[in-house]
Amino acid sequence: MSFDSTNGTKQPGIRKGAWTVEEDALLRRCVEKYGAKEWRHVPQRAVSINEGLNRCRKSCRLRWLNYLSPGINRGSFGEDEADLIVRLHKLLGNRWSLIAGRLPGRTANDVKNYWNSHLSKKPDVRDHGERSKRGNIVFKPRPQTIPTTWIWSRDQPSSASEIRQEKTQVPEIPSSENHRTRVDTQIIGVPNVENVITKEMQTDNRVIQDLEDNKDDESLAGVGGWDDLLRDINLWGDLGAI
Amino acid sequence: MESSTQESPATATKNTYTFDSPHPVYAMAFSSLPAPSPPRLALGSFIEGYANRVDVVTLDEEARSLRPEPSSSFDHPYPPTKLMFHPWSLPNSPFSLLASSSEFLRLWRLDSSSVELRSILGNSKSSEFCAPITSFDWNDAEPRRIGTSSIDTTCTVWDIERGAIETQLIAHDKEVYDIAWGDAGVFASVSADGSVRIFDLRDKEHSTIVYESPRPDTPLLRLAWNKTDLRYMATILMDSNRVVIIDIRTPTVPVAELQRHHASVNAVAWAPQAARHICSAGDDGQALLWEVPAAGATVSPDGIDPALCYTAGAEINQLQWSATHPDWIGIALANKVQLLRV
Repeated sequence: MSFDSTNGTKQPGIRKGAWTVEEDALLRRCVEKYGAKEWRHVPQRAVSINEGLNRCRKSCRLRWLNYLSPGINRGSFGEDEADLIVRLHKLLGNRWSLIAGRLPGRTANDVKNYWNSHLSKKPDVRDHGERSKRGNIVFKPRPQTIPTTWIWSRDQPSSASEIRQEKTQVPEIPSSENHRTRVDTQIIGVPNVENVITKEMQTDNRVIQDLEDNKDDESLAGVGGWDDLLRDINLWGDLGAI
Repeated sequence: MESSTQESPATATKNTYTFDSPHPVYAMAFSSLPAPSPPRLALGSFIEGYANRVDVVTLDEEARSLRPEPSSSFDHPYPPTKLMFHPWSLPNSPFSLLASSSEFLRLWRLDSSSVELRSILGNSKSSEFCAPITSFDWNDAEPRRIGTSSIDTTCTVWDIERGAIETQLIAHDKEVYDIAWGDAGVFASVSADGSVRIFDLRDKEHSTIVYESPRPDTPLLRLAWNKTDLRYMATILMDSNRVVIIDIRTPTVPVAELQRHHASVNAVAWAPQAARHICSAGDDGQALLWEVPAAGATVSPDGIDPALCYTAGAEINQLQWSATHPDWIGIALANKVQLLRV
């Protein structure tokens, strides 16, 4: 238990490492005599005939607060305490001093060690922890628009076949896994190419040309048809982005 | 439909019924109990403040009026932005389920004698602050799912049987004003950023923009997805007298723009059973019934004329077309609610 890492100067002879029974006794006597304050004087004051306390003042303070102080409950953590710790941690996070403030007789250090060694491994606790950090997973779908310059119709077989070829040349669409599998099946089938509508925007009459036959009406009414449609949309959106 | 009455035969069939509400009405929902049950409406008040009410009225053709059901009225926190009954009618059950949205999504159980709050579905679990819900839609094919839209730019899909969030999506860049289900796993939403986007729950990483308002950032206020023909959607721009009809297979360019209102359009509803009929209502006090031309039809350069027109006399704020009684349309204007026979 060495807390001397923050000590910049390296003094010769300062002890680090576990506290011996004699050192504990020296410290205890000093604190009983002078009180648990003015820690900078404690190493000088905690001397006896035989030996001096060769510990850094930070070390003395921490040893007293975390181990030697009489109010500390050194028994194992009960279920109620564990439950309190879980709930407080969900609320406060890693602020051990605040959590320990609500647990009488427990030091922040002990609470932290208990948490790290026992509680953080439990799955429901972990879930709580994660969920309180992240909340529910919220998706942010990336919007894509279908380019209006794609004009294709049954009357222009050349363009349709061109597009079909393009489709086969681009097997990997850089998007989610879902997409990849859907694209593959779509290329094999190429079912809807000829049934897509042409929209000719122009002129005085605003004629809307519908090149569909009745088959498509039925397919769109059901879920399956909608699947095809959406696959198409996503596919062309990505191609358009090239 | 002839109603039996002892009065003179000239007034035998009444085509409009009016209900005078003690407070201004905005939200309106038709019950999903099919004929022979009479049309039943839930009306949400629009009082600025916390204390609002929801009343239920039933059409009583024998009494020739819309009769309120006082045992089914209840207090509602904040004005409900939308009301909707469960889309399936459970023939043998004595109660109906009504959903309402304001700062939370709430489910109410309406018995024949009382109303009970069944659940409150809150948007965020941890904080005390909640983003008000602008609209929601109950999935017809999968009634466990309700999708809500909120001003915090998200759309949330709730599983109401578990009472938990199924998915939460950041749908738009600005407040989302309306949401509509197309299929069991597909919905669309409109937003203040001016776009209509379609989302598929099977691919949450992507959305498709189907239409964007011509002047950027003109908010789109309402969206109606034609349940009989899933190709067509209708949307309304803010402060515009046009109803924009979109075909999702030919995105970004609308199929038609219905421009016969003299003031801003407030509400739009597709016919529940005919594939191409749509009704719109606005601040000019008119409710217009249109027939969207079939694909391939020639459209005159003046635009499409409505098939039917009803003048209400005051600004119409809400319009609902009953799914189970397709010859009834409900409109809300100021403190009145009118039921119109088509």
